[in-house]
Order: sequence, then structure tokens, then C-alpha cells
Amino acid sequence: MNASIDTFDSRALRYVDCYGQRFMREGTYRYHVLSCREQGLASQPARTIKVVPRSGEGKNGATMTQHSVPLRWTRGRFASSPVELEIEVGDLVLWNCPDPAAPAYEIVGDPAFFASTRLVNECGFTHAFGTPGSYAWADAHGSGLEGTVHVKEVACKTRGDLERWQQQLAQAALVMIADGKVRPHEVEIVTGQTVYFAIVTCGGISITDKRLLDERGGDGRAAVR
Amino acid sequence: MAQILAALDEGGANTVLTEAIASVPALSKSGSGSLGPFTASYTVHGHFTGGSIDLVAPATVRIEHLRCVWQMALSFGIDLDDFLPHFCLPQVCVHIPCVGRVCTPKICLSWPTIGVTVPFGDDVEASADFGLDVALIGGQWKVQIVVQNLSQLQFGPGTAGILALIGAAITPPLLVIPFIGPFLAGAVDLILAAIGIAGLTGFLGPILSPFLSGLKIPVYAQDKHFKLLPADGPFDPDVFVELDAVDARIEHSDEDELVLTVGISP
Repeated sequence: MNASIDTFDSRALRYVDCYGQRFMREGTYRYHVLSCREQGLASQPARTIKVVPRSGEGKNGATMTQHSVPLRWTRGRFASSPVELEIEVGDLVLWNCPDPAAPAYEIVGDPAFFASTRLVNECGFTHAFGTPGSYAWADAHGSGLEGTVHVKEVACKTRGDLERWQQQLAQAALVMIADGKVRPHEVEIVTGQTVYFAIVTCGGISITDKRLLDERGGDGRAAVR
Repeated sequence: MAQILAALDEGGANTVLTEAIASVPALSKSGSGSLGPFTASYTVHGHFTGGSIDLVAPATVRIEHLRCVWQMALSFGIDLDDFLPHFCLPQVCVHIPCVGRVCTPKICLSWPTIGVTVPFGDDVEASADFGLDVALIGGQWKVQIVVQNLSQLQFGPGTAGILALIGAAITPPLLVIPFIGPFLAGAVDLILAAIGIAGLTGFLGPILSPFLSGLKIPVYAQDKHFKLLPADGPFDPDVFVELDAVDARIEHSDEDELVLTVGISP
């Protein structure tokens, strides 16, 4: 793991980030896992998600199953298993590459009706905050959506303190983004906790650390490795 | 053979040798060594001051409290995985209204290796017995005193403070490592404990000892073809004598003296 300042950007996923997408209609969907070094050009065949009708009794979207897709960074490429995933309508697929050595990456649908770079409907982005401070975020695509995450420092002097902290880490803060509103606008967590940004309905946004936007004055993507 | 005798009592020897010690050029050295569990590279510069002279017949110049003032730049890497506990972000689940329960995976981290550079300095003191060394080198007689026995190095009171400096140098690179916050204080303590005073003196001793054990202090230097009188007009040229032999020893009569005997011939 490289020592680095803690920044986050849903367009450049890292080992402490997850991207999740629900699939609400039947069909076969192709997607790519692109490292940011690939500049949007896929160097591997697309993976597929086959969405079949629900077998249960619930209505579409009323219940769902989560499917986790762990990514591995090997030989300069992202590998995932399975390459073809079959899910039911309303299910959620969640991607994460836990390798700190992996470069930043994005999940891009083909065609791009879903993408981690532009969060639309029924999707989510998570980030575990590793360093105390106040993190203002904004939509790099210019919708004006923004918010702040306050990360409090944790001082663990005893084993009991560490155990309490570990218990806190298992609880996430939830930020709901729907109809052009962010609720809550500010959240407070402790170092190491995760924030889940749930995008219910949106025109296509990113959750981007404002410092990245300020660094480059534009969309900030060049600042993310 | 005609001889010239020059004698220096201990008071005079203290004056002459104190100046001679101060005139020894600064020494420098680079390399690497074991600093506790770490391999550290260093560059060190040192110069000498002080010391009180004791002449011991027949051929020993004892210098007590000889000080080497040194400055060092030290660099080493710390693999934090050796000091910090294995750490994983646990699985985190949230309930999203109208959607259901969504969980992130457990994510285990590896701690990085950090590089630390620490500039610091202190002094070290020792007592040494020097022998007298007389040599004719390149047409010049040289008398110098050369270390024969060296006492154990006595590090100055600032040496313990070096650990605090290392601690201060470690902290900034640790602060920027994500998720280290709750482990930070413990990490610094563990790293400093791993080095310890023993590790520090064990590192510095082998580096600084050669500075002292290899010390040569010039006492006297004179051309063998020695100009006794300068020219005084076209019919009165320079007058030279040959310094045929030089001997140096410590003689004890009423008091100890450093005696130089020079045999000369026209």
C-alpha cells in the first residue's frame, strides 16, 4: 500500500471503494472494468450480466439479492469471477477490488447506461475514510449536488478502545441521493468508517472529492491515479 | 653528529596538542549499518576538540576527554507490517429504504513501508593512548601521535534525545497513511522501542570508533633540507643544514616532557 492522502472519486475506484448497480429489466448487459490507465479503451472482452425474471413471489424491486463481484489485479489487468453472471430482475451487483496495488478503475456498461463514472439510477458508491478531516464532495459533472463527510479522529489507548472502534467500523453512514437532493447533506463518522452513497434517481452524477476538482480546476480526473 | 634538543612540558604539550587536534581536518564517511531491526544508510562528518594531555614515559601521550563532534544524516525504511497488527475493514451493511440490505466485502489492508530521513548530531568522548610516530616522508620529517589504545566511547547526553528526533521524523509520514490513526501512537512507541538506546549506540559506535581509532595528530613537520639562515645579499646565499635524524620520546625528570632530538649536519 502506498502512503497517500485520502481522496475519493466514484469515477476512479480504489481498494476501499465499492460500486453497486441494480438491474431492473430483463436482458443481457455487457460491461468493462477499465483501469484509469486505459483511458476508456477496453483491452479485454466485455463481461456479461444476464438478468432473468424473478423466480420469487415479490414484485420487481420489492426484494433483491446482492451479487458481489470481487476483482483481482493480476498481470496488469483486472480479472473477475464469474465472467458471466446470471441474476434476477431487481438484484444488485457490487464490484470491489481489494488490492491496494491495483490502479484506480471504473466499471462501464456497454452501451454505457450504467457506469461508476456517471451514477444514474438504482446504484451506489461506497468509500471507507481512512484519515480524519472534513471531506467536501461534489458532482464533477456539474449538477450542483454536493455534501460533506466529517471524519473524526480516533485515539485508541487501550485494547477496549480498539474493540469499540472495530465495532464502529461495522456501521456505515447512508447518504441518499434522489430527485436532485442529498440527504443528509452532512454526515459525521470516525476514521475507518464507510459512507454508502445510494443513488435512487439521478441524471448521472459523480461523488468526487472537491480537492480533486480544485486541483485541476476542471473535472479533476487527471489528479486521480 | 650535532644535535638540537627541544623539550615541551605538559603545560606546553597541552597548548600545542590542543591546537594540533583542532587543526585535524574534518572527517567524513558514508555507509550503512544495523539500527536495531533496520538497515540504515548514513553520512557522517566529525571534527575533534578538547582533551587534556598527560605525558607518560617512555613514549605515550595520553589524551583524556578527547571529543569528536559529529553530524549525521540517517535514512532508513520501516516496513510497518512488522509493527502494526493485521487490519481489515469489516463487512459493512446498510439498509436502503425500498431496496434492502446491501453489504460491502471485508477488505484487508497491508501497511506500507515508509522512508525516514533524520539529521542529527551530538558529541562522543573517549580517552586514548597515542604512540609517537617519526617518519621521513617525501623529504620531510614528520612527527605525529597515533592512537594505540582507545577507551570505550562515551556518548553525550544528547544521544538519548536522538530517539526523540527519530520519533519526530517518523510521525509526519505516518500521519498520511489511511487507517493508521488509532495505531499511530503505538506504532511510534514500538518503532522507537525496537531501536532503543542500545540499538542507537550499537549503530553509532562502529561508525564513530574508526574516526577516533584512526586519528593521527601532527606534532612537528620540517624539511630534511632545512634552511637555517636566509640569503642576505648576492654574496651571502641561503644557509642550509641537513636534518639527518629525528627522534621523539617522553622523558621523565622533574616532570614529564616531550623531547625532540634532531641530528644535523652541514
